[in-house]
Amino acid sequence: MEERLYDLIFIARPATPEDEIKKVISSIEHACTDKGAKIEKSEHWGTRKLAYRVAKHREGMYYYHQIRTTRGELIVELERRLHVQDAVIKYLTIRLDEDLKRQKKLGDKREKRAARRPRRPAAAPPAPVPATPTAEPQAAAN
Amino acid sequence: MAEEQKQGQAVPSEAPARAEGGAPSHGGGQGGHSGPRREGGREGGPRREGGPGGGPGGPRRGKRQYFRKKKVCKFCVEKMDLIDYKRADILSQFVQERGKILPRRMTGVCARHQRWLGVAIKRARNIALLPFAGSAAGATAPRAVEAHKS
Repeated sequence: MEERLYDLIFIARPATPEDEIKKVISSIEHACTDKGAKIEKSEHWGTRKLAYRVAKHREGMYYYHQIRTTRGELIVELERRLHVQDAVIKYLTIRLDEDLKRQKKLGDKREKRAARRPRRPAAAPPAPVPATPTAEPQAAAN
Repeated sequence: MAEEQKQGQAVPSEAPARAEGGAPSHGGGQGGHSGPRREGGREGGPRREGGPGGGPGGPRRGKRQYFRKKKVCKFCVEKMDLIDYKRADILSQFVQERGKILPRRMTGVCARHQRWLGVAIKRARNIALLPFAGSAAGATAPRAVEAHKS
């Protein structure tokens, strides 16, 4: 069972008291530990202006978590809990691991390509590398 | 019917002019429709193209396909393999004032990154980091999300 990485963002009403937020966060954390998931990152982005009105509010408090788990049904449970909370006006879960895998693959491919064809530095004279065909026309031009 | 045809034939010089003018006569009805509209489109072309850069090398009036931004894709240059939906400041460069996604020919983004950009922008819209098109369009410039030390 491969590990999945999720981004969970929720927006709370502005000026929600601290203990209500703590209740929401602890509910998330309990759900994660019950299902054997790990919370990798937990951030508070502060009160931001919303791009459009949500539940008649123009501002909201953004909270961000990054969760690593092998079980997808954890997300259903988390969203159910967030939906129930009055303080939370919006939430979004994004699955990240496929995107990160693709990013890593492209990065590796790029590095491999760069390593295979070494670029000669601009200042130094061309190094005589017998294998590369680019050296010969350069020498011929010189 | 025959009388109208005779009238059309009797005044041949006026008929094409009428068609050009756009009066929907029976003879020039079909042609007259597309005529003025196309003229209007051509005139509207250079007005739009004159704004961002003027279209290098192509004729000013004319079809829009001469307009081509010589820019390269910003994401390819920076070698960005992942377009983060949380970076509203980056994404907002590719979004109009009203919230609509800018087309590739305006921004110079390559096809692959334009697809990823669309996905990221739609995600950001869902979490209220960017506006949906036409809804309370940005009074303030979107700023990057910063983690607060809580």
